[in-house]
Amino acid sequence: MIMEKFSYVRGQSIPHAVALLNEPGVRARVLAGGTDLVLLMKEERDVCDRVVDITLIPELHQIRRAGDRVVIGAGANFCEIVESPLVNETAPALADACHSVGATQIRNMGTLGGNVANAAACADSLPALVCFDAVAHALTPDGALEWPVSDLVIRPNQTKLPAGALLTALSYQIPGEGSRSVFLKLGRRNAMAISRLTVAALGRLDDAGRVAEVRIVPGSATPQIRRFPKAEAVLLGQIPTLELLREAARVAVAEMTEITGKRWSSEFKEPALESMVLRALAQLFDAQGAA
Amino acid sequence: MKIEFTLNGEPCSVEAPAHINLLHLLRDYVGLTGTKEGCGVGECGACSVLLDGKLVNSCLVLAPQAGGRDVVTIEGVRGADGGPNDLQKNFIDHGAVQCGYCIPGMVLAGEALLAKKLNPSRADIREAIAGNLCRCTGYQQIVDAIEATAAARRDTRQPQSIEDAKVHEEVL
Ligand code: FES
Ligand code: FES
Repeated sequence: MIMEKFSYVRGQSIPHAVALLNEPGVRARVLAGGTDLVLLMKEERDVCDRVVDITLIPELHQIRRAGDRVVIGAGANFCEIVESPLVNETAPALADACHSVGATQIRNMGTLGGNVANAAACADSLPALVCFDAVAHALTPDGALEWPVSDLVIRPNQTKLPAGALLTALSYQIPGEGSRSVFLKLGRRNAMAISRLTVAALGRLDDAGRVAEVRIVPGSATPQIRRFPKAEAVLLGQIPTLELLREAARVAVAEMTEITGKRWSSEFKEPALESMVLRALAQLFDAQGAA
Repeated sequence: MKIEFTLNGEPCSVEAPAHINLLHLLRDYVGLTGTKEGCGVGECGACSVLLDGKLVNSCLVLAPQAGGRDVVTIEGVRGADGGPNDLQKNFIDHGAVQCGYCIPGMVLAGEALLAKKLNPSRADIREAIAGNLCRCTGYQQIVDAIEATAAARRDTRQPQSIEDAKVHEEVL
């Protein structure tokens, strides 16, 4: 006789999965990619009563265009996103961020929704999603909910996602014509590096060569992943000279320190962030000699 | 619970608890020990298998997730005569096997790459095996073996025997 620690059920559709997650008296958990949950189960004896596997719900894998937005099913794995022409065309930095997650084996399993819902400090997709001002969509028994990703994720491993809610999609507005985006990562070993510092950035110049739009989002730098408005303000409306980009990078570092205070890691993170922001901006605005 | 799936082209039905991982299911419940456990936490790739044709770490797959799906382990990769296939022969010929512990995972990572791309650069090959750690060979010989196999398969345009039908189709 086999002792079962929990039951395993497959969600057949999004509403079916939400119903399975919300049956009274049953402590249920979502199995999205499995990469994190399966490890948790090894460590903890009593994780839940029921595991709801959502990995085979077709709708959750869809990546589609809806008007001026791109909607990525929360169950899309990193490989599917990396290979999506739509994402590569509209959000190259997001495709790059997903490409930098783990190795093939992890990218085949890990999902964008799982990355957001678990909000690991090192989740590479988060800064890229915040950079595209992405919105997270969820379904609960009482209806649909949505939040900007930057609001949903409060700090590492903590989100506003209510118990019983299923993250269904992440969406972003397609950036304006002529926008560029970049994702940079500083990690110990490329393939499996649990990243320590990342920068996602997006920028667009107007016809006069001035900065019409810029977004700077460092990852693993602050507890809540967010845009750095002070650094962005340095650039907006200006001609992006190398000197100005350097100034913006310095302001970004000051902004990080303002939020986190000085830490044991500051000595490493401050110069690293400064050079990464500079490099990201140089790539966005074609500045010579910066990287 | 009963877990039924296709294993190396054959139907497989096994009674096992829901909380174990696919690696444990394969080794201890089905008795196929070609799939190795290195780290057990998704970092070394020794436990790599193909799930519906995709390379995954079986230590991170919950056993019941395999239900109704197609799993290929190293036992399912072989030549028409039952011996090593072309990729496995190239591993041997290029000295890519020392202690051998990483090799089942390496071979499956190689097959997963070659199913998608018969013209990989060395950088493509290195990326394809980036999730597979080898503590013996220094990787060069492994990259050489995969590269040589790609070249030979390009020349013959013949799929090599691998039990997984999906991989077959993609190679064709
Ligand atoms: S044993 Fe699965 S990745 Fe190491
Ligand atoms: S041959 Fe020994 S670990 Fe690779």
